[in-house]
Amino acid sequence: MSEVAQLQLIALSIVGFGILILLFIRATFVRVTGFVFIVLGLFSLMSLAVPQLASLPPAEEKVDLASIKTPTDIAAIGQTVFFSKGQCALCHSIGPSESARCPDLKGIGAKLSKDFLYESLTDPQAFVYQDYRHGGVPKEYPATMPRIDKDPIGLSKNEILAVIAFLQQMSGEPISVSLSDLEIPGQTPKAPVKAAESALVAKARTH
Amino acid sequence: MRQGIGTIQLALRAVSGHGGWLAGLLLTAVWLALPSIGVAAEGTATGPTEYRDIPYIGSRNLVWIVAQLHLLLAGFVLGVPIFAWLCEVIAWRGGEKRYDKLAKEFTKLLTSAYATTALFGGILLFLLVAFYPKLMNYLTDVFFPSFLLYCLLFLLETATLYLYWYGWDAMQYGKLKTLHVVLGFLLNFFALFIMIVPNAWATFQSSPVVISEGTAIERAWAATWNPTWWPINIHRLIANVVLGGYICGAYAGVRYLSVKNPEEREHYDWMGYVGNFIGVFGLLALPFAGYWLMREIYQYNQQMGITLMGGFLSWLFIIQAMLIGVLFLGSNYYFWLGITYRIPGSEGKYRRAMLMMLVSLLLCLAVWMTPHSLVASIEEAQKMGGAHHPLLGVLGVMSAKMTVSNLMILITFMSFVMYWRAGKQDTAGWAKLGKAVMGAVLVLASLAVIVLGVWGYFVPAIVRINYFSTSQVLIVIFVILTITPLTALLLKSAKTTTEMVWGSMPPRAGYALVLNAVMVILLMTLMGYARSSSRVHWHVYGVMRDSSPYAYSPALGSASLIMAFCTFFFCILVAFIFWVATMGDKAKAAASGKGELPHGIPAMAGGAPEERQQG
Repeated sequence: MSEVAQLQLIALSIVGFGILILLFIRATFVRVTGFVFIVLGLFSLMSLAVPQLASLPPAEEKVDLASIKTPTDIAAIGQTVFFSKGQCALCHSIGPSESARCPDLKGIGAKLSKDFLYESLTDPQAFVYQDYRHGGVPKEYPATMPRIDKDPIGLSKNEILAVIAFLQQMSGEPISVSLSDLEIPGQTPKAPVKAAESALVAKARTH
Repeated sequence: MRQGIGTIQLALRAVSGHGGWLAGLLLTAVWLALPSIGVAAEGTATGPTEYRDIPYIGSRNLVWIVAQLHLLLAGFVLGVPIFAWLCEVIAWRGGEKRYDKLAKEFTKLLTSAYATTALFGGILLFLLVAFYPKLMNYLTDVFFPSFLLYCLLFLLETATLYLYWYGWDAMQYGKLKTLHVVLGFLLNFFALFIMIVPNAWATFQSSPVVISEGTAIERAWAATWNPTWWPINIHRLIANVVLGGYICGAYAGVRYLSVKNPEEREHYDWMGYVGNFIGVFGLLALPFAGYWLMREIYQYNQQMGITLMGGFLSWLFIIQAMLIGVLFLGSNYYFWLGITYRIPGSEGKYRRAMLMMLVSLLLCLAVWMTPHSLVASIEEAQKMGGAHHPLLGVLGVMSAKMTVSNLMILITFMSFVMYWRAGKQDTAGWAKLGKAVMGAVLVLASLAVIVLGVWGYFVPAIVRINYFSTSQVLIVIFVILTITPLTALLLKSAKTTTEMVWGSMPPRAGYALVLNAVMVILLMTLMGYARSSSRVHWHVYGVMRDSSPYAYSPALGSASLIMAFCTFFFCILVAFIFWVATMGDKAKAAASGKGELPHGIPAMAGGAPEERQQG
């Protein structure tokens, strides 16, 4: 029996217990308790009837440089990061989607260069067009895109490059991210992100 | 370790010559304590403890339950003084004694409820310090000055509560009564700050503002004034009024079901009406505050907003819609029962209107509960042409949901106006014109809400959120602010055709009141889970990551059982508090044997018992 089925059985028992109380007990307070049991049991049954999604912490994708032989290997890592730690799919779609709140990334690798994509991910306010149009007056609205290299997402440089490789591959473009672009651990240690520097953490005015 | 044992042997040899058994005992105790020192030393070597756990229940679940119960009790303890003070002011200004006695009855509950709330707060604090020492250390570092302020406020509130409660009888007349009302205001004033100070600690975890420089007070103030602090303050303040009102209603409902004495039936019927009215009064404003909070969350961090409303928590809002829908239905149903049973002759007159309202409410609820995307098989998705149903997908978006929630508020408001007007005949010369104006305002407002809702599909989201949804809210507020004074003016000169008969409600009215209270408590537990889950795997979003085994949010189904448990346990706690608070009075009443109402039990509807006896 699945966990959901077990929980449904518990909820159903609570409802049943409440019904039994209402049928056989005359004491008012106990009857009201039985009524509350029925309401709470039904609430649990309703909650168990909807899709059961847990929110797991993102898996730490270790970019194992030794296992990367070709740019396609980088793109494969990028695909995993895109749908897990990067949380890109939370807002973006790949292909048209009614539920996507942010630009469709299908073909984005063909439209934008590697450097432009890197800047868009690490400094989203640098170049913004209204309603994602490639034209008109820029920066009418601030970008809702967070800085991907800062907390709470905090992708490493290698992970960002892997995502760019994935976007290029997905657009049918040749992957311009090369093995030499990747940082080798120990050579350029990543500076720790201080809480006050986090992209999300607003700096309050102290005056 | 070996060195330590050697030292003990040396020491033992030193004391053995003197026959010092006491010293030997002491050394034995020290030796026995050595393993713990060893463990502590090992702990120090690997860094300070970040988490502790307990078997079976799990530290997170235990903290969850205790925190939820503390929050619900705190909501009750903060909501009831508002409720009681308002009733006292109504009695003070209007001269209706029964409101004063109702206020007194509920203030009496505060003394025991206050202690229980503080008890759960203390348990929560100990658990947090024990289970999450690193997080608590960080929060203490940020908020230390506000901890001191909180202690001071706690002292002030306790003193005010004692003065307010124990001074009730002594401060009944003249200037002393005014002083008592001022004390009640101060109680609520301190209670408000008792709420908003810890709100800063909680909201900081979701929307942190951190500065590394400045004095301790500057750092604490910056962290306190975070983006979601005020939206939560307002939202919780209104929610506490709603909770206080509906719990009062539920208490009255249970008492109504159990009493046999007709006078007590009258009284508890009236008390149920007052509780339901105050609950509905707050409920009408609550969605606006909730909308503002969500808007601030989106503005603070789009990702967090999407996690809440478009991500793994999106189905939670369908459950929320169901709970709010049942609450609206329950509140309206209670009004309709009141029209049908308390005002003889009205049942036929308003039946059609009630049926129309019921159908409209159900339709609105159906739209509100429509999910944006469906869980469908590949074949089903292919037939629909995507994850979204061609019709239902249209109803699943915010534009539709905002429209129906505003319409439900309007319907509930009209239900109340209908109840207010039932059994009365207008005599004012301008009555026809007044009613025509009110009808026009209502129809035009409803149309405007619907038009803006439909238009919302064709404009960018930012336009809809900033202008259309806000306009819908303003329209509803305009309707309430226009029709309420007009109705009051009309009824001032109206002739009462049918007197209100209290105590004639069927038993299902009592159950409706209990249902409403359970729905409100469930809503609070559900949204507590949502708020906490929106931080995903962060203790302090984007600043301090949760690295414990509990760094995940459980699925709604398993979480719902904990919510149901919290709701049930809270109901039992409240019942216990009510029972304890009235136990002494019952004993006194039994001892006196005169059938006189005990101290603290309010008067019957229509006047205080003393007044009746005198009359």
